[in-house]
Amino acid sequence: MQEKTITITLDERGNSTLDLEGFAGHGCEKAFDDFRGGDMVKVERKKPAYYTGHVVEREKSHR
Amino acid sequence: MSKYGEIHTFLREEKYLVEALKEMGYQIEVHPEGALLNSYYSDQEAKVANIIIRRDQLRGAYGDVGFVRQPDGQFAMIKDELDEYRGYGARWLGRVQQLYKEKQTLAMARAKGYTLKSREVIETSQGEQVRLQFVARR
Repeated sequence: MQEKTITITLDERGNSTLDLEGFAGHGCEKAFDDFRGGDMVKVERKKPAYYTGHVVEREKSHR
Repeated sequence: MSKYGEIHTFLREEKYLVEALKEMGYQIEVHPEGALLNSYYSDQEAKVANIIIRRDQLRGAYGDVGFVRQPDGQFAMIKDELDEYRGYGARWLGRVQQLYKEKQTLAMARAKGYTLKSREVIETSQGEQVRLQFVARR
């Protein structure tokens, strides 16, 4: 199973980037919100793995 | 990768703001009810702040620098307008926000069970970046 990592890069202008790997679906949203910490999101983009994860979870839930 | 975002930091939590300013080497006054800032011209309108750095600690500054709690819960920086060009403008505030966000992130991660895997400081043409990598529990 792929490791779930969060990389946050903080610049000197009060901005940061947040990059989540290995997450899918709800777990991804929760981790994103944890690290956003109530700050303003300027750009948000879901990666293909996010959707792949959704499908896997749905398949499992029907078993 | 599963998600990417760009975020702007708001200063909301007094604890991390005070820690950030202390790390920058300042002695901080905290006034829950607010206190007056000193400015260069004595006839300027008096400004009140909740967190204050006095000008004797701010090299080259004309007045004190403070942060005041806004009705929406955010801290806003207030200063003598002349100090915008004396090293206490957007760039200085950006450094405060960078330290604040790092401290807030590390505390949140500890509390929620994320493990810090690495911390790097990267020199770029636009200044220093701090990169923190965490691992989530399964």
